[in-house]
Amino acid sequence: MTSLRAFTCDDLFRFNNINLDPLTETYGIPFYLQYLAHWPEYFIVAEAPGGELMGYIMGKAEGSVAREEWHGHVTALSVAPEFRRLGLAAKLMELLEEISEKKGGFFVDLFVRVSNQVAVNMYKQLGYSVYRTVLEYYSASNGEPDEDAYDMRKALSRDMEKKSIIPLPHPVRPEDIE
Amino acid sequence: MAARGHVQDPNDRRLRPIYDYLDNGNNKMAIQQADKLLKKHKDLHCAKVLKAIGLQRTGKQDEAYALAQEVAALEPTDDNSLQALTILYREMHRPELVTKLYEAAVKKVPNSEEYHSHLFMAYARVGEYKKMQQSISAQDENLSKTMFLPLAERMVEKMVKEDKIEAEAEVELYYMILERLEKYQEALDVVRGKLGEKLTSELQSRENKCMAMYKKLCRWPECNALSRRLLLKNSDDWQFYITYFDSVFQLIDESWAPPLEEEQSLEGEVHYSIEQAVKFIEERITEESKSARPLRGPYLAKLELIRRLRCRGCNDEYKLGDPEELMFQYFKKFGDKPCCFTDLKVFVDLLPSSQYTKFISQLLEVIPLSATAESEVALPADIKALQQHLCVVQLTRLLGIYHAMDKKEKLTAVRELMLRYRHGLEFGKTCLKTELQFSDYYCLLAVHLLLDLWLEEGEETAVWQCLTFLEEGLSHSPSNAQFKLLLIRIYCRLGAFEPVAELYSSLDAKHIQHDTIGYLLTRYAESLGHYAAASQSCNFALRFFHSNQKDTSEYIIQAYKYGAFEKIPEFIAFRNRLNSSLHFAQVRTERMLLDLLLEANISTSLEESIKSMSLSPEEDDIPWKDLRDNRDLTVLFNWDPKDRDISEEHRKLSLEEETMWLRIRSLTLRLVSGLPTLSHTIQPKNSEETAENGVSSKIDTIRSLLQQLEAAVDSGKKFLEQKIQYPVLGPPPTRMAGFFSNGSCQCQTSLFYLVSDIYELDTNGLEDSAEIQERIGNSFKSLIERLTDLFNKCKGDLIEVRDGTLKTQPNLLENLVFFVETISITLWVSSYCDSVLRPFKSNLQKKKKKKKESSVAMPPVFTHFLDYVTELQTLTSNVIDHIKGLEIILTALKLEELSLKDTLLLQEEKKFTKTVQGKVQSSYHHSVQEIGELLKKRLDTIKKLKI
Repeated sequence: MTSLRAFTCDDLFRFNNINLDPLTETYGIPFYLQYLAHWPEYFIVAEAPGGELMGYIMGKAEGSVAREEWHGHVTALSVAPEFRRLGLAAKLMELLEEISEKKGGFFVDLFVRVSNQVAVNMYKQLGYSVYRTVLEYYSASNGEPDEDAYDMRKALSRDMEKKSIIPLPHPVRPEDIE
Repeated sequence: MAARGHVQDPNDRRLRPIYDYLDNGNNKMAIQQADKLLKKHKDLHCAKVLKAIGLQRTGKQDEAYALAQEVAALEPTDDNSLQALTILYREMHRPELVTKLYEAAVKKVPNSEEYHSHLFMAYARVGEYKKMQQSISAQDENLSKTMFLPLAERMVEKMVKEDKIEAEAEVELYYMILERLEKYQEALDVVRGKLGEKLTSELQSRENKCMAMYKKLCRWPECNALSRRLLLKNSDDWQFYITYFDSVFQLIDESWAPPLEEEQSLEGEVHYSIEQAVKFIEERITEESKSARPLRGPYLAKLELIRRLRCRGCNDEYKLGDPEELMFQYFKKFGDKPCCFTDLKVFVDLLPSSQYTKFISQLLEVIPLSATAESEVALPADIKALQQHLCVVQLTRLLGIYHAMDKKEKLTAVRELMLRYRHGLEFGKTCLKTELQFSDYYCLLAVHLLLDLWLEEGEETAVWQCLTFLEEGLSHSPSNAQFKLLLIRIYCRLGAFEPVAELYSSLDAKHIQHDTIGYLLTRYAESLGHYAAASQSCNFALRFFHSNQKDTSEYIIQAYKYGAFEKIPEFIAFRNRLNSSLHFAQVRTERMLLDLLLEANISTSLEESIKSMSLSPEEDDIPWKDLRDNRDLTVLFNWDPKDRDISEEHRKLSLEEETMWLRIRSLTLRLVSGLPTLSHTIQPKNSEETAENGVSSKIDTIRSLLQQLEAAVDSGKKFLEQKIQYPVLGPPPTRMAGFFSNGSCQCQTSLFYLVSDIYELDTNGLEDSAEIQERIGNSFKSLIERLTDLFNKCKGDLIEVRDGTLKTQPNLLENLVFFVETISITLWVSSYCDSVLRPFKSNLQKKKKKKKESSVAMPPVFTHFLDYVTELQTLTSNVIDHIKGLEIILTALKLEELSLKDTLLLQEEKKFTKTVQGKVQSSYHHSVQEIGELLKKRLDTIKKLKI
């Protein structure tokens, strides 16, 4: 039970119960504004009947069409603890995939911490598979070692042969990512 | 610069730690890291620029500028350097250098569209700086309605006729123009027409726009039919239930009947009777039972319908069922979801209060709990059962059942909740550090009960138990933000700021969160004498607000570029909301007061300090009428009944109180900033007449500000007469009450009256001013008395062991801080006195020498002043001695010897209790030290006042 609607600037003042989670990054204002200015349709928030914000997804479309790399990308997806286990993340992912389908994307991709098993498993359930590992993608600023990321993908209907998701045999470095 | 989520090239990666340091305000490390990188990669120009940013931010403007010019001379064309230089120049307030930078880049890479557009924007920004004075006013709004929008409309119309509209963004724009012109019918026609077909990228974009227009046009049949259709597609979307119900009842009230032989509405079938609505909702429930994933929507919609029917006085004649039973069924279906409580909370007012206890027992009965050998409390055997039980406990609190308990029952309930909490940890053994424990809420609820005991029944030991349980909880669930937030609030209430800084930083709150939850820090850091921490937290917030002013314009341009026209007014409103933030105005004011408090007449003169802040008494930059309260006052969870929860009224009152206090603080700051303007020393001696005029207008300003201060104090006092009690976890009260009750307020206002008298003495001269001199003398005397009274309010033990429990008096700390502030203002005013009296004295002495007479009488004001300064010195020394005494007590206090009265405490709990008591003790020590050090510096400045 949810109201799904476009994320607006005013939501930034109210998203603390989602963002005070250790794995959810609070970005600088420019980052949010960039997404809102460029890909407003990819930034969706869910609201509970009592008015609480439940979770949101933030994404974008990018890549070259000619090289069949045009795709939807999930930049952030987070659900507040009390609204978990309702399938909300799946619903939000579904919406992002739907938009990406409409835009003629070949696939949807996302990056996730290798250690974040909960998320990795959820994405697998939603049909995503590990396309490659990106070494030391997440830099830690407090002296801890940098963490690897999985680049996970799911093919869209335009990629009929599912070429975009054939796993790479070797891990890549962050600087090699398009 | 923040949030570089994706890495594009190797240099980007190398630079990232520097960006991170800069973002986190760690400028020193940023500089070091840049130096390190430059040793390896000499040609990495961007690192130089980032170093320059670090230098700029640590106050080394000249070095920063030199370094930046080194790079700029090379006319860089890489993105990183260009962007970093742009940021640096903007922070230096030299936007014109950005234009030069891109002029050079464009010359080198003439084909780059990006550089051209940067150059364009840089030009735009230089223009903007010039235009900054002219703020956007209501006039512009009118102008846009009468002139620009109609013009735009005609242009787009022409494009439509010529079939030139191609892109979705253009349709969006057309819609926006019509909407803003309030031409809703035309807007609707566009969206429903052929052009509307282009609206595809956003989800349900066409439907949403139609709905908005139907509402504007009060076309309820269409609203109804459209929401009905959308609900058929997705019966879980709450917003459409709301429009569905709204429209059904509108149609009933209008006695709407479908037209004959026509379609019911543009959007199809319309429901216009209660019977139809009831049937529709029942059908949604039947449909739901067939779906693979359980949907909460239809069930909650039924409760919503019952509520609306009851509001209209229809009682159950539609046989929707008993809400109690429906909620019970809902619990059976969704009770194991963490959101079950939040869902039911919306509808508990449908339950009669006489049924509360019965309702709770009914829920408890269906939870599979089983007694174990170790415990008489029946416990859940799995996470599902635990979750259900937790939901019932939350509802128990919401229905006020815990509140009605007596002390003994409450303590028993606390014990049971903690037992359940600890038992529940068993299910979370494999949880990662970043995950929460399933049973965390038990612990929180136990602490809420203890808070009631502490604050409502005066149970002193309860607060230590609160902290104990929360620290224990945090040790098992180190990412639980609710534990941290509650610890922060309680430590602050106990006057212990030291542990708060660490807790807050572990929340990793940044950027916009400085505005929404920064108040948790800034309300307490300074008022508890943690000056360094106070400076730091103000700085974090100010950096955020200042960068917002620059950043947002950038994205208004971007939204325009990408055709997200709807976002442009949204971004502008957002920028305004941040600029008129209450918190922004507060940290701005408090930061300056704090700087003066720590530095003025200690490391630099008051005059210089004020000059460096570009402060002037005439200027008021606070948007009083538009102040926006951006605080997130519900960031802490609570499960309190409605009558105890934070209400709209509380928010309104808190904003009112904060604004009043801010007014007092801002007027104080402006009055202080007026002091140096009164001195003769900064006026040219020769042009007496002009100087006279200049200064006399300055004293007028001060007198008028003083009147405003009196008025602000009066309304503040009136406000406090209401004796408002905010909920414990609601907005923290301001420092205003303490300011009035400890006498600082009286001291400070009388000081500014003294300024006015001294000015009069200055202009009248020593002869024929006996009356003024006497008045000044009396003021000195009463000031000393008032300051002594204020000191008396600081006396007492901060912390002591009484009857086996630890008692604290945190208000003594707040009073001490007020004392130091008041004495500082006293000394600034005194040094103004000194500057007036000193020339008089030297003139007299000259006269004495000339006349070679010993009979030139000393005017009484000199003696008054000397006596006063001596007493001031004695008083300050006494306070310093008192503080030293406090320090000794705090060091000597051995808490380990404190035999905890509550022998029921477990060994584990005792350990945490020791820790929290130690933290409070150490924090007090820290406060007292910082306050003492500052006061010592102030004492040194008194010695200079002996004329």
